[in-house]
Amino acid sequence: MELCRFGIKLFAIDPAAMDAKKFVPIFHSWIQKQAVEKHQLIDVHDYSHIHHGPGILLVGHEGNFSTEMGEGIPGLVYFRKVAAGTFEDSLRASLKAVLQAADLVEADPVLEGRARFRRDELLFISNDRLLAPNNSATFEGLKPTLGKVFGAKAGFTAVRAGTRDRLTIRVTGVAY
Amino acid sequence: MPTWEEKLADRIDPQLAAEIDKFETEITLRKQGKLDEKVFAETRLRRGCYGQRYDNGHRHDGIRSQELHYSTDLTKGPETLWDAPGMQRIKIPFGGLNPDQMDVLADLAEEYADGVLHVTTRQDFQYHFVHIDDTPAIMRRLAAVGITTREACGNSIRNVTACPLAGVCNTETFDVVPYARATAKFMLGHPDAQNFGRKFKIAFSGCRQEACGLVNMHDLGLIAVTRVENGRIRRGFEVYVGGGLGAVPHNAKLFEEFLPEEDLLPTTQAISRVFARLGEKKQRDRARIKFLIAKLGIEEFKRLVVEERQTLQADPRWTEYLDHAHQYTEKPLKPPTLLNGQRRPEGFDAWYATNVYRQKQAGYVVASITLPLGDLASWQMRELAGIARRFSGDSVRTTVEQNMVLRWVSETDLPDLYRDLMRIGLGAPGAGTIVDVTACPGTDTCKLGISSSRGLAGELRTRLAAKSYTLDEAVKNLRIKISGCFNSCGQHHIADMGFYGMSINVGNRKVPHFQVVLGGKWQDNAGAYGLPLVRVPSKRIPEVIDRVTDRYVRERAANESFQDFLKRVGKKDLRAMLEDLTHIPPYEVDPSFYSDWGDPREYTIGDMGVGECAGEVISVAQFALAAADGLVFQAQLHLESGDFPNADQLAYKAMLQAALSLVRVQWPEAPDEAGTTIQEFRQRFFETNIWGDRYAGSKFAQYLFIRHSAPPSHHTGDHAHRVVEEAQLFVDAVYRGHEILAERGTR
Repeated sequence: MELCRFGIKLFAIDPAAMDAKKFVPIFHSWIQKQAVEKHQLIDVHDYSHIHHGPGILLVGHEGNFSTEMGEGIPGLVYFRKVAAGTFEDSLRASLKAVLQAADLVEADPVLEGRARFRRDELLFISNDRLLAPNNSATFEGLKPTLGKVFGAKAGFTAVRAGTRDRLTIRVTGVAY
Repeated sequence: MPTWEEKLADRIDPQLAAEIDKFETEITLRKQGKLDEKVFAETRLRRGCYGQRYDNGHRHDGIRSQELHYSTDLTKGPETLWDAPGMQRIKIPFGGLNPDQMDVLADLAEEYADGVLHVTTRQDFQYHFVHIDDTPAIMRRLAAVGITTREACGNSIRNVTACPLAGVCNTETFDVVPYARATAKFMLGHPDAQNFGRKFKIAFSGCRQEACGLVNMHDLGLIAVTRVENGRIRRGFEVYVGGGLGAVPHNAKLFEEFLPEEDLLPTTQAISRVFARLGEKKQRDRARIKFLIAKLGIEEFKRLVVEERQTLQADPRWTEYLDHAHQYTEKPLKPPTLLNGQRRPEGFDAWYATNVYRQKQAGYVVASITLPLGDLASWQMRELAGIARRFSGDSVRTTVEQNMVLRWVSETDLPDLYRDLMRIGLGAPGAGTIVDVTACPGTDTCKLGISSSRGLAGELRTRLAAKSYTLDEAVKNLRIKISGCFNSCGQHHIADMGFYGMSINVGNRKVPHFQVVLGGKWQDNAGAYGLPLVRVPSKRIPEVIDRVTDRYVRERAANESFQDFLKRVGKKDLRAMLEDLTHIPPYEVDPSFYSDWGDPREYTIGDMGVGECAGEVISVAQFALAAADGLVFQAQLHLESGDFPNADQLAYKAMLQAALSLVRVQWPEAPDEAGTTIQEFRQRFFETNIWGDRYAGSKFAQYLFIRHSAPPSHHTGDHAHRVVEEAQLFVDAVYRGHEILAERGTR
């Protein structure tokens, strides 16, 4: 399955540290420095007024970053838009991008070291209802590639059962 | 690999499918270099694919202008890169939606945009940050649930809007929905509507006195009326033409007091043909039908339409929907009930007071869903679809106030509905109140945005919501509308308090500003347009709101409307009250004035470069500009007092004075003489394109040239109003002209 639209969400360890408005200048500074490798960063959009919405969005050509509040759980999410080769290549590139973004956030003096993210557990969100409908066949089909990228000991649990929802997989025991 | 085209083949109307196939082919041809970029730009616009800010590949990051690098140099229009994110507008005729459509809209926002759906001031939806390559899939998936993006932008008939209460409204004459639907369907892709010089907007209202469809500001506005003929009630429409906002608002003219229903479609077709044939094509800023009507006069325009109507070949579609229209009723999901003594959740009463409307059908209500800045997340839309299935069925609407409504809710369901809305974060009260601020996209995503309308709207909303419980009742129901530039997409002209964005030079820096426009009237179908009062730095607009509303509460006579209060106090006094807010502290004292709401970047400073000698000239120019400002203001006072000849004359003088300020930058001794000013201004700035606004082109210069060459032979309120508005815009544009000169260092 050559999926190229999907997301990876890292959970914030301290949700209170994810003060959305503080991310506006942070993301603008990333654009000034074009701080994320292999990404053309374009613009920042403030969606913090939307309940459990994307929060602050950093738009890139290859993918978007945001301080997503999905289901009330703050985190740092990355949605890939452009293929970086095979699905495995794209997944590796996306993981690298979101981890780099997490490092940048954690090191940003504006947040005083309070914003930290879990690396051992994350969400994988498929974002293509044609190629990857939310069903068990897709789940099984994705697992081998997810295992290659997130580590042989990683555990996978499908969440969000609604067929209209995107297939979302909780990945635990992630090893890089 | 499977495709949406294959998967949805049997669910898409063949005509729509062919249309999308054609567009996909055009994408391919453009990629192969076989289709000109200008042709492609128009074709994508007609499919609702709009450009977005920074799509020319450049963005100022607060320090410098950065080049944005994409994988291809291919363009999708002049100065519009293929890979740059764009906007997709989706037409929702009369704002009507069903839950299945809502589900698909939610899915697409997630997969192809940024997970957000934005409701526009014309009942459309918009996605932002969409790649042009994804648009055929978006269109197919929408088409499979009966939605089209065709003619959502471009020089075409845009979304046909209608009152969101149509069919359930207590004051309507009859339900206009079948007529709005028939018009949208009949005119979609109609050959007679393919050769317009500009866009054409149609709106329907069920009654005259409410805001409803805002008929007065539309190219074609229709109000439901009936007549008794031979003891039989006949349905028809009071027809208005040539209204519009834009840079200079025009009141629509009465075209016909009673147009029988069977003549609705042929008359719309005939109007389209006359507009296509005689409307301006080259000068975009004079190409809306309002200019054609102003040129011809309403009687001549009407004569031409009647004549055109007589030449049309009869079309069965003109009347075949009428039987259905008469029988049309919506089927409620549940039986009617009354809200009697049920336990009400916390916050319910406040929400009920502002967000619930009792339908004319006893036992049913309309529940408004207040969307902050017109936005909702894809998951909220999906949940809302589920809520609609549970409480209201297929009867969902978007509104021109950027909200949504659920209709036919059985009253006893309200507490449960409220709980569900609260659960998904959409239970906020305040629909249609001062808290419910309307704003266009502005500098967030629009290429034409000058100031951050959404940033300001968000700030005002937060501040007003915090004190909403303590606001005086008289203030609660005022409306605030904000546009990022003079083009009025935020409909600032029809707000009690409207604002439009502009920038002003202070020293060698720019400061985002908003022009304050007071006294517009939302009721009576956009019954009156406000007039500009004073331009104020963006960061001080909240103080404007506070001062104006505080004074209204303090000094208003019993039951005095906001508009009457403004009229009584007068512009001079109001302006004096706000004068100190126009002062801007030096950057070194307070740099916050030099960035916009919600955007930490310094406001377009990177390109500045002002020479020493220019400084002196600037002060002279600013002096002259201040004089021009004063003249516009005087003109407004005369307009207000009904002295139209003097209003016209002073507005004209203001334009001359502003033009002279520019001429004197290059020729300090230029005489203050109209003919010379015009000639020099034309030669030095107009013909050299130094001054032309990048997007508005020569529009503003034409205001001066036209007024100079054709002074009015008789004075009317309409004409004087227009000239005063034009003078304000001309002076604003001259401010920008000075900035351009300063940036170029070519004084």
